[in-house]
Amino acid sequence: MLADLGRPVVGRLVALAPVLFGITLLVFVLNAIALGDPARAAMGQRVDPDALERLRHEYALDRPLPVQYALWIGRLIRGDLGMSFREQRPVVEVLAERAAATIRLALAATVVSIVLGMAIGGIAAARSGGAVDHALMAVAVLGISTPVFWLGMMLSLVFAVTLDWLPVSGYGDGDFPHLVLPALTLGALHTGTVARMTRSSLLEVVRQDYISAARAKGLSETSVLGKHALRNALIPVVTVIGIGLADLLVGAPLTETVFAWPGLGRLLVAAVGQRDLPVVMGAVLVFALIYVLGNLLVDVAYLVIDPRLRDGRAS
Amino acid sequence: MLGDTQNERAAVKRLAVFALVVAMTGFSAAQTPEVKVKRGGTLRAVFGSDPPTLDPAHATDLTSSAVIRQVFDALLELDETLRVVPALARRWTTSADARVYTFLLRDRVRFHNGRALTAADVKYSLERAAKGKRPWVVEKITGARAFISGNAGDIAGIRVVDDLTVELHLDQPFAPFLSLIAYDAASIVPREEVDRRGSGFASHPVGTGAFRFVSWRRDDQVILERFPEHFRGPALLDRVVFRIIPAEITRYNEYMAGQLDMSDIPTGRCRAAQADPRLKGEAAVWPTLGTQGLRFNVERPPFGDARVRRAIAHAVDPSIIVEHLLEGCVIPAKGIMPPSLPGFSRDVRRLPLDRELARKLLADAGFPGGRGLPPIAYNFNTSDGNQRIAEVLQAQLKDIGIPLELRRLDWAAHIKLVDEGRAGFFRQGWIADYPDPENFLTVLFHSKNAGAAGNTSRYRNPKLDRLFDEADAMSSGPARDKRYAEAEQIVLDDAVWISLYHYTSRALIKPYVKGLERSAQSSAPEFLAPLRKVWLDH
Repeated sequence: MLADLGRPVVGRLVALAPVLFGITLLVFVLNAIALGDPARAAMGQRVDPDALERLRHEYALDRPLPVQYALWIGRLIRGDLGMSFREQRPVVEVLAERAAATIRLALAATVVSIVLGMAIGGIAAARSGGAVDHALMAVAVLGISTPVFWLGMMLSLVFAVTLDWLPVSGYGDGDFPHLVLPALTLGALHTGTVARMTRSSLLEVVRQDYISAARAKGLSETSVLGKHALRNALIPVVTVIGIGLADLLVGAPLTETVFAWPGLGRLLVAAVGQRDLPVVMGAVLVFALIYVLGNLLVDVAYLVIDPRLRDGRAS
Repeated sequence: MLGDTQNERAAVKRLAVFALVVAMTGFSAAQTPEVKVKRGGTLRAVFGSDPPTLDPAHATDLTSSAVIRQVFDALLELDETLRVVPALARRWTTSADARVYTFLLRDRVRFHNGRALTAADVKYSLERAAKGKRPWVVEKITGARAFISGNAGDIAGIRVVDDLTVELHLDQPFAPFLSLIAYDAASIVPREEVDRRGSGFASHPVGTGAFRFVSWRRDDQVILERFPEHFRGPALLDRVVFRIIPAEITRYNEYMAGQLDMSDIPTGRCRAAQADPRLKGEAAVWPTLGTQGLRFNVERPPFGDARVRRAIAHAVDPSIIVEHLLEGCVIPAKGIMPPSLPGFSRDVRRLPLDRELARKLLADAGFPGGRGLPPIAYNFNTSDGNQRIAEVLQAQLKDIGIPLELRRLDWAAHIKLVDEGRAGFFRQGWIADYPDPENFLTVLFHSKNAGAAGNTSRYRNPKLDRLFDEADAMSSGPARDKRYAEAEQIVLDDAVWISLYHYTSRALIKPYVKGLERSAQSSAPEFLAPLRKVWLDH
């Protein structure tokens, strides 16, 4: 099976290069259009003209824009993302410190959305049309429509401030309790979507002839749903989970802000505010990579779930 | 609508209340001789953002300064009353012409790496500051400007006399010079550590301060620990942890959950916090050295016409902003300089609220009822508070026929527009870097600072320049204060700047935190106070 997967995976990875190049160019152009001077932003309220000029020279901001971009691309090819204007440290170092926290949070939130979403969707499908189904779907809609910032504050208020079960915020020593509320908050963003897709997909599959045949053979309902229906219902669910990665990335800065989580989202927001272009470019690259690789994983999951896709039999 | 006299009465009443608050809360934590201080423990403080750097030469923000002031010392420091007192220098002398300052360093001061401090470190550190982001801290020293602009190899006016004596020569007398030397940008650093770490010095600072650096996890926390060999003796706390929590509501929740020992009061909750029985004795408000104002760029029409500027000044009623938007937790402003700034004058007066006069001035300028005015945009940087203030201004100016377009940009974009003179009417706050009128008035209104250097109004008035030049060189005292007051009144009468209110610090402090200074330089949640004096009465 691995050999079957190799070619499409390599194809996707090759296609990644122009996508990333396009993204960096877009970010650079947007930054150039936006008002603001990183050297001035770094100077505080009182500016010394000589110091400002020196800083602009240090940041290479006195060079023409195409030259600045070419210099950045040249360094990128050598694996160097440049120096952060704000922190005066290599961008790779700046990103590496935060990437682990963001990936940890995104993975935990994905697990939350898969486990809760599929459980809610499965139960709703099994009780289709009943009160439980309606109640669970209402919960799913609530999950989709609740703002991350508000949900985070409420969870923090109830479980941390009032009940004192979990920490209010922070990364702690990387321990599990500090992860729970941020993961639930970020995961909730996507749990509803996964639940709704699981339900509708399951209901569509159970109407197929082979499910009727399985029931006619006398298989139990659990076996019919869990063994025969679920596997075939998974493809659209996996698609939603893949797309959901984008939602998680969008939600990450807000969740990280509410819970003081030291991740890439907060870094990116601060870097945009300070016009710290090398960090903005680096962080966007990382986000793009996570997004594209997430989608690649989804594609691989298709191939694993549905063998027909590996030899092009599926329509 | 309050009349001007009523406004003033309300302002005086408010100031009295603030004085009372300061008297009651500001010094409640001060140690008394009978109280037995307790050693040990960890102080859990908080910042709203990650410090960009811990290098004193490159810091320009309060967050960085809050850590730098614990890790480093300067030759001098400011005490709680903003008086200059000795720090690394045990004493100093000033020449008769006030142009030569001689500092005698303390013996046996050690850096955190164990090496003894010498006068050579002072010269190195001040020259390094001159190449940093706040070179103005040393620019009054002879030869500094040439060094800053790269035309000299060293600052000629810094003379190492012997290992423990250093002289600083000025081109001309400058009254607030000692305050500059007490500023954290003038902190003393060990050359070998800077050379060894390069740009990494900003992440691993080494100074002589009461606390030494332990660790910094970006966007999460900075940890310091007591430096046992500090020249004043070891600090009372074992450790200080600065958490970094961007959302003010999260900081508040952490404080309420008992995970922080001090924090700030969230926006819009000032009165609620003061009235909350759970926070009895923990909510404190005190004046700081800042003013929120509105400015005009006099080079952009129609603001070159003083009648238009005055019309707007007469139409703006800051009492709505002070009382309703900011819950009375700031200080109403009569002038530009805050009352807590040495040299503050009680006699200066902003143009009073008088909308009839405003309409007349507008008509005299050729814009009766606002007709014929070009579109007027009010520029401000993004924050909910600034947005609400802008909406109030919009409503008030509409009343005299000026439709105001609100232009909200993030800080980097806003400051670029202002610096480049592309904003005609804009918000500008100012917080004193050091407690002297020169840092408020000369910086903001002298023609030599026109543009990004501070005078963003690009206002040029020879009489004002003359007053500033005289006052800046005079010794502190009534004659100097009188010149600044006269200059301040000229600026207000010419409506180059409209003061809205003076800043305050709004803080939450647990009752067991003792010895925390609440000076006018301190501002929650950063608290620039020296934490060596703090102890925990658990």
